[in-house]
Amino acid sequence: MAILLSFDIDGTLELGDPPGGVTTEMVRKARDVGFIIGSCSDKPLSVQRKIWEDMELTPAFVSAKHQLGKVRRENPADAYYHMGDRDTDYMAAKDNNFGFWWAHEAAEQPWLEFDMNNHEQIPITT
Amino acid sequence: MAREVNWERNHDPVGIWNGRGKAALVARGHSPTDRRWDGESLDKSLGAFMMIAVQNALDDAGITIDDVDGIIGSAGGQGNGQPLSDVWGPRPYFDAPYDSEDGLTHVTGQWLRQQMGFKNLRYINNHGDPVWNLIGQASQAIADGRAEVVVVTYPNGNLPGRYHQDPSNQARGPAVWPNTWGWGLSGQGFTFNQYCQKYGTNHDRMAPFVVQERKNGLLWEHSYYAQHEPGEFTEEDYLNGRMIARDLSIFDCDRPVLAAAAYVMVSADRAKDMKQKPVYILDHTESQFSPRSLVQTIDDTEEWTDIQAQRSYNGSGLKPEDIDIFAPYDGFAVFTQYYIEAFGWRGVKRGEAHDFYAGDISLKGPNPLNSGGGNMGTGRMRTVFITDPLEQLQGRAGDRQVTTKAEVAVTHGVLPITAGTVVMSTSPD
Ligand SMILES: [Mg+2]
Repeated sequence: MAILLSFDIDGTLELGDPPGGVTTEMVRKARDVGFIIGSCSDKPLSVQRKIWEDMELTPAFVSAKHQLGKVRRENPADAYYHMGDRDTDYMAAKDNNFGFWWAHEAAEQPWLEFDMNNHEQIPITT
Repeated sequence: MAREVNWERNHDPVGIWNGRGKAALVARGHSPTDRRWDGESLDKSLGAFMMIAVQNALDDAGITIDDVDGIIGSAGGQGNGQPLSDVWGPRPYFDAPYDSEDGLTHVTGQWLRQQMGFKNLRYINNHGDPVWNLIGQASQAIADGRAEVVVVTYPNGNLPGRYHQDPSNQARGPAVWPNTWGWGLSGQGFTFNQYCQKYGTNHDRMAPFVVQERKNGLLWEHSYYAQHEPGEFTEEDYLNGRMIARDLSIFDCDRPVLAAAAYVMVSADRAKDMKQKPVYILDHTESQFSPRSLVQTIDDTEEWTDIQAQRSYNGSGLKPEDIDIFAPYDGFAVFTQYYIEAFGWRGVKRGEAHDFYAGDISLKGPNPLNSGGGNMGTGRMRTVFITDPLEQLQGRAGDRQVTTKAEVAVTHGVLPITAGTVVMSTSPD
């Protein structure tokens, strides 16, 4: 099955400004386990692409924060999650029916607990 | 020391300034540019940055602290010397000299005098406004003989890297209208939306302007982007910016940063002894208005900016075609067209700015608008609006040096509702 993880950058990824708790290694591991990964941030798209280059990873998507719905439309998956450190992240996730983790929760890599063969998206409860 | 009042030139007709050519801007100094303060590194505090900027400005002018007899600044960078962002308290302060807000969230001339050892000051004023008004105020003080060698200080603090985060869940009084939609932003979008409707244009047509400013800003070594995010900002980036109010995208808003700048301004007599070529102040004018209703409209905006431009032309005796370097503020990028059209720079009339943006506004072309990159290209420091015209007229803007004539500059900011205009020239006449 396909599960999509959308990472905010500033305050979420370690390469963000300010740095967040989700390390490049965690993102790489998520990719290796088979998650569809990409970023959804208020940073310019060109800056997002540069950050993925710096991480030496190829994202399935880079997106502006208000375009999370487009990410869903363009990337078929069985479950969708976004993570970030601002209310705007929470709202974007909620509006587009993504599951959501705050950045400090994401730093615990909750996706590694998922059963990749049998998974239902965890609804937003925050 | 004195709090200066009524120094502004804001009663029409202002007439040619009697201080014309009596004061000169000669040097600039900047600190590093950071996104925020970590709350620990005192060598990166606003006070430390202000001292770095002052020393750099003195070195640039080729003078020492003992030559300086005046400090004119805005302790917090905003109107009446107030800081824009959060203050440090009630968190515990540090050992002296960081044992109060002074040095952390604002920087007074008295604090600088103590830390840097200025001995010959006869005039200090910390109550200034945004940087255009400070240059005007210092020009006036020099022309009036209050001081001969003035350091103008402009600290821009921002502890958390953001501001106007209103934690309140209530809006009272007149704030009930705009604040339910976020600080100030919906108003700026509203006025811009009226502009678009009036002239049949749209937000996307801002793209060439903002993209060009970001390009210019990368060539200014003190720009936040040059130092921290040096990639090219593209039209695709701009057009995909999140709208934070109708017709106002996140990329129309300047990025909050922490930085300080200082300028050395001197009397025309002393200008001859300075290391750098003097740039003379031909005129300064100021303005302050009130909206006719709760929210500023396009009619207000055009009326106010027309008054600002005409006041400046009246004060300097110049015509639009005399302005070589034009630096109209862009703290929201949607301001700038109001100023270009009011000043009629390069013949641009009301409603024509977006056509102008679609033409050649490149740095090396015939219309190098905001050759320093403005706030969009440098971060929310505002000081590029003084440093770039100064360097262009001194012929030392390096990669940013325009290829057109650079003898007269006009810089204008901050808001349509309240602004200062400074006219600079390579010649005192
Ligand atoms: Mg973030």
